[in-house]
Amino acid sequence: MLVDFELVKRAREGDHAAFTQLVQAYRKRILGTIARLIGRPEDVEDVGQEVFLRLHFSLDQLRTEEVFEPWLYRLTVNAAYDYLRRQRRRGEARMADLSEQQVMLADAAAGSRVQQEEQRRRQLRETVQALLANVSEQDRILLILKEIEGLSLKELEKIYRVNENALKVRLFRARQRVLKALAASQTGTARGGGN
Amino acid sequence: METANGGRPKDPLEAELARLLAAYREACPEPEPGPEFMPRLWERIERQNSVVREFRRLTEILVGAAVALSLLMGVVLSSREPAVSFYTGTYVEILAANYAQEAALDPEAIPAEQGYFR
Repeated sequence: MLVDFELVKRAREGDHAAFTQLVQAYRKRILGTIARLIGRPEDVEDVGQEVFLRLHFSLDQLRTEEVFEPWLYRLTVNAAYDYLRRQRRRGEARMADLSEQQVMLADAAAGSRVQQEEQRRRQLRETVQALLANVSEQDRILLILKEIEGLSLKELEKIYRVNENALKVRLFRARQRVLKALAASQTGTARGGGN
Repeated sequence: METANGGRPKDPLEAELARLLAAYREACPEPEPGPEFMPRLWERIERQNSVVREFRRLTEILVGAAVALSLLMGVVLSSREPAVSFYTGTYVEILAANYAQEAALDPEAIPAEQGYFR
């Protein structure tokens, strides 16, 4: 816990200063998680605001202060999921969907070492996001929380309110699909390199 | 990086995925919240609060109007003349009265010594 239970209790009772402190304590961590979940830096702050807005209006539903963190993560997961679903509906082009020519132009623009490093990171992000695009939004979020955020199965159990075995099965299936996509991409790369 | 089942990846593909996921975390920038984060958040909270307040006020007006209308209808209905009731007695009394009426109209039911219909 980044804050003590007393602060959560005060925020629950409607203390605005306590709520502000709570947001200030968690916002960086939550924004980081959202960035990794949605993969779009420009929308991270908006989704983060949505999380804390939902937190403000649902704090009174919190049973005990001890479950505050899983509760906040659940709100984060839901907000990220809603965002990803809206994005899918809009059918906006992701960086991973850009044409090869556009990517080459972007590559050419990256001249300096810092830019090259940023370019490498961007390509890595796109690669992982393209792999994760092979599973549903829910499974993608679950996989990121487990494998990238490093949450334990116990923590995920509290967030999802689903038993550990069900989570293990879902994670296994999601991983298998991502591995399959990775194998396919490696085969494609090898073929492309061979030509 | 450990796999979902808690062990170290043995398969090279699993190892590659674990490496990619670990590198992804490094490659994702930790976004710094802007200076407008808190003011914007409070602005959104206030906006939503005002919507809730407005909705509550509208609900209170509607509930008040419904209660006033019900009272008014109650007063109007209670001040009107009571409607003519068809059944004032019990079921047995009505049955007995009906039977008496039918018996009066039935010539067979009238005793001959009374001298009617001669």
